[in-house]
Amino acid sequence: MDDEDQYQTGYDVGSFPKDFGYTPFDGEAEGTTGPLTGDQKPRILLMGLRRSGKSSIQKVVFHKMSPNETLFLESTNKIIKDDICNSSFVQFQIWDFPGQIDFFDPTFDSDMIFGGCGALVFVIDAQDDYMEALNKLHMTVSKAYKVNQAIKFEVFIHKVDGLSDDYKMETQRDIHTRANDDLADSACDQIHLSFHLTSIYDHSIFEAFSKVVQKLIPQLPTLENLLNILISNSAIEKAFLFDVVSKIYIATDSSPVDMQSYELCCDMIDVVIDVSCIYGLREEAAAFDSQSSSLIKLNNGTILYLREVNKFLALVCILREDNFERQGQYKNLFLNLVFTCKLYCYL
Amino acid sequence: MTSRTSYITQEGPANALALNKDNSQVVIAGRNVFKIFTLLDDKFEEFCNLRVGKNLNLNFSCNDVAWNLIEDHLLATAATNGAVVVWNLNRPSRSKQEHVFIDHKRTVNKVSFHTSEPMLLISGSQDGTMKCFDLRTKEATKTFYSNTESVRDVQFSPHQAHTFAAVSENGQVQLWDMRKADKYFQHFTAHSGPIFACDWHPETTWLATASRDKTIKVWDLTAKPSCDFTIHTIASVGRVKWRPQRKYHIGSCALVVDCGINVWDIRRPYIPFASFNEHKDVATGIAWRGDPQSFLSTSRISTIWSIIKTCFENPLGSNNNPTRRQVSEPDAVNVMNLLPIGTNNDQLNSVFDNDVRSLQSESAAGAATTATTGMISGGDDETETDEPLDNNHFTGPYLTNYRRLPPDYGKRHQPKGDFSFGECELDPLPNSIIDFSNGGDNFAICNDNNWSLPKEAFPLRHEIQNRSPPPEQFPNHPPEVNNEDTGSILIEDQPCQLVIQCVPKPTFWNPSSLVENTLRHHANIKDIQTTVSILLALGDKRKSINIEIALQEHWLLEYIDMLGKFKLWDVATKIIQLAWISSVSQLNQQSTTVHTCCSTCTKSLQRAGWLCDRCHSSKHALCSLCHQVVKGIYTWCQGCSHGGHIHHMSEWFETNKTCPTGCGHLCEYS
Repeated sequence: MDDEDQYQTGYDVGSFPKDFGYTPFDGEAEGTTGPLTGDQKPRILLMGLRRSGKSSIQKVVFHKMSPNETLFLESTNKIIKDDICNSSFVQFQIWDFPGQIDFFDPTFDSDMIFGGCGALVFVIDAQDDYMEALNKLHMTVSKAYKVNQAIKFEVFIHKVDGLSDDYKMETQRDIHTRANDDLADSACDQIHLSFHLTSIYDHSIFEAFSKVVQKLIPQLPTLENLLNILISNSAIEKAFLFDVVSKIYIATDSSPVDMQSYELCCDMIDVVIDVSCIYGLREEAAAFDSQSSSLIKLNNGTILYLREVNKFLALVCILREDNFERQGQYKNLFLNLVFTCKLYCYL
Repeated sequence: MTSRTSYITQEGPANALALNKDNSQVVIAGRNVFKIFTLLDDKFEEFCNLRVGKNLNLNFSCNDVAWNLIEDHLLATAATNGAVVVWNLNRPSRSKQEHVFIDHKRTVNKVSFHTSEPMLLISGSQDGTMKCFDLRTKEATKTFYSNTESVRDVQFSPHQAHTFAAVSENGQVQLWDMRKADKYFQHFTAHSGPIFACDWHPETTWLATASRDKTIKVWDLTAKPSCDFTIHTIASVGRVKWRPQRKYHIGSCALVVDCGINVWDIRRPYIPFASFNEHKDVATGIAWRGDPQSFLSTSRISTIWSIIKTCFENPLGSNNNPTRRQVSEPDAVNVMNLLPIGTNNDQLNSVFDNDVRSLQSESAAGAATTATTGMISGGDDETETDEPLDNNHFTGPYLTNYRRLPPDYGKRHQPKGDFSFGECELDPLPNSIIDFSNGGDNFAICNDNNWSLPKEAFPLRHEIQNRSPPPEQFPNHPPEVNNEDTGSILIEDQPCQLVIQCVPKPTFWNPSSLVENTLRHHANIKDIQTTVSILLALGDKRKSINIEIALQEHWLLEYIDMLGKFKLWDVATKIIQLAWISSVSQLNQQSTTVHTCCSTCTKSLQRAGWLCDRCHSSKHALCSLCHQVVKGIYTWCQGCSHGGHIHHMSEWFETNKTCPTGCGHLCEYS
């Protein structure tokens, strides 16, 4: 992304009104993220046909809306940019992309849009006829690739909650083949698309976003390695490094992620923030801060342990209760790890 | 017949296990355990601990382990820090670490040795790449970019030496050709969630994949990949392994929730064929011990102290007659989906008994422990015994532990919807055969105690039918000399030259029965080389000897096999040439054809070497110098696979050393 800086300068993403309720530390975010300022953060564009579910994704993932409430969202009929910058790692800019937009419109500054972005997420409604969406995808991807070759293309096959398992697979395979065939036909073989099956009614959308974000983090191997060291030297079974606001995991150890543990950890973060909102000392204080830590014992002998890493990140671990007594001896290691993580996050 | 279970405790969780070539030793590897055990009859014996040395760094923390199946002293492990470590058990020093490849940036999830080239090793990593390592040059020779997220498993095909399958976290299966590192030759989306493991079927071109979407799928890869069978489990599936010698059986263990190890009949996708609940935590590795009746497994354990467990038991049923079972099971398995017409009751009983146990264990508590007659309906499944059965081969010492039902069969497979799936699957299958109350178990081996001698002394290369009984049977016929003319003269200990010298005087004395006895004697004392040498030396005279041709053939094959083991290929070839039995003498005329395949679609070229019938192109047959289609002799470099007209190539290599395509390979033209 050589040309990134060049386009960043004249592009003020904060010019659009932010009328969304839930961002408790919106105002102070920019100032406190350390050396990683807004311009350097990877940026994600969310695109897709109208009514494909972009606004719903945005509301559910970043604004904590209940998935059922998204039914009542109005259809977005003009380009809407929303800026979510309260995360230390990723700056999200969601572009709602109505169907009638014309790439060849001279006012459409593709250099500006695609130049500075790290990943382009294209949302396809799996319950709808996706032919038009595929055409759009092809157009968008080839256009974006011309401008910025380092861009990562992610396709969310969305709203799969309504599909049966077999049909889900069939749809994914069909979209995959068609999209790749289209690219091969126009001699764009080198473009690689990643596909994710997502739904806002479960955690698949969070997981898909996690994977997108992880591709944009250069420190990922190091963070993963640190977590590996942690779990191999302690009795911890699984460790996640979470972005607290969006509940996206920035890194995890290399053992397979199982959906239930991930959901548990997400729910834990919600609980911690809610409880801390209610019982926090001062009303204006942020629900999650540099002192946060929490421990939840489940009735199946499992313990969830949350520890802040920095203002936006938390380390959530799953471990067995009978091992927890022994955890004292790992405390030092644990703290060391937390500090090392901090260090890397600021790099 | 008894069945046994044993176990052993280890500190720290194990992530994987691997068996050696002859299934006599097992290695387990984990975050802080890496040991080799010798498998004894009823217990484990620690053979060596590889986790030794002054600085135990992260290279010792293993995600996966593989044992070379050709060179028995080589092992490879995948470390969480991205290192691939090769271990050599022949090293004289205490530390057996041979070499560390640090080519991967992120965790290596899987290592696997090539099935026929012992020096090739492949790894699959979290960074989405696979690397092929050459143990001779000690470097990563090739890198395969999967363009996906992390690669969870790589497995070489047992059918095509150059093919390997890779499965990744985005639900894709990719098939690669070792020689073409730039792009996979086939890929398909197999699951809607991450795939964690795959396993090639040992006989057919099936690939089983196990995924987080709680299914195991079996893919037929002969043409376009098609999903032939889907097994639905109750939890994410962590590992799968086909059961040897049972075409439709596959073992699996779950990643979470379910601590049991299940064996499935893939044609019956909802209820396991058998399941084992010895483990107290999730199993992390399973391996079959070469035969279908015994397997080993390791588990992750929450406590720091964990237990390795071996269970020698007849895992897959309560049949006490193993020989009968071996013969009968293929039939019985078929019958399960059809109607049991004309099949032995005992056989059926043995198989159905499993099903019944897993299905109806609750209602089975009060059922009799011997086979009874009459009608009994078990659980929700309204089935009846059609036929009274009174086989009493369930007389093992564990009888009281079995909660057995009268076997019912015949109707139960017809109304498939009658099974009470939910209840049975969620029930933690209380009918483990032997209940150990260990705190946790890390490692288990299951085996039955059927130590009947194998029918063949050596594993035969070819399937031989209508074979006469092998020499082991002959002790029943003691070598008595029943000679008519000369009376009983025992010359068994005589040198063989003497015997042969006697042959030229048949008029006075017919030595044929004596020779016959000598031959049988030598075969009985496993001196097969003498037997075959005498037979060869006898020439046409051997016709007068009263030994069946099939037995002679068997001796010959055994001798050839033995020579092969000592790598005396020359001698073996001579024996084959001198052989008087056509099926033996044709041995070295088999598999002499080399089939060529199209380089783009891998369809074999049948009609002409320069035109592929499927893709209708001759791209693979272009001369790299003149770019014309080569219709005569095509010569190519074995290293870079580029080539062309033989005269063009010879001209080119008179003046050049590198490949004419410019690929940079230093070709050798001779």
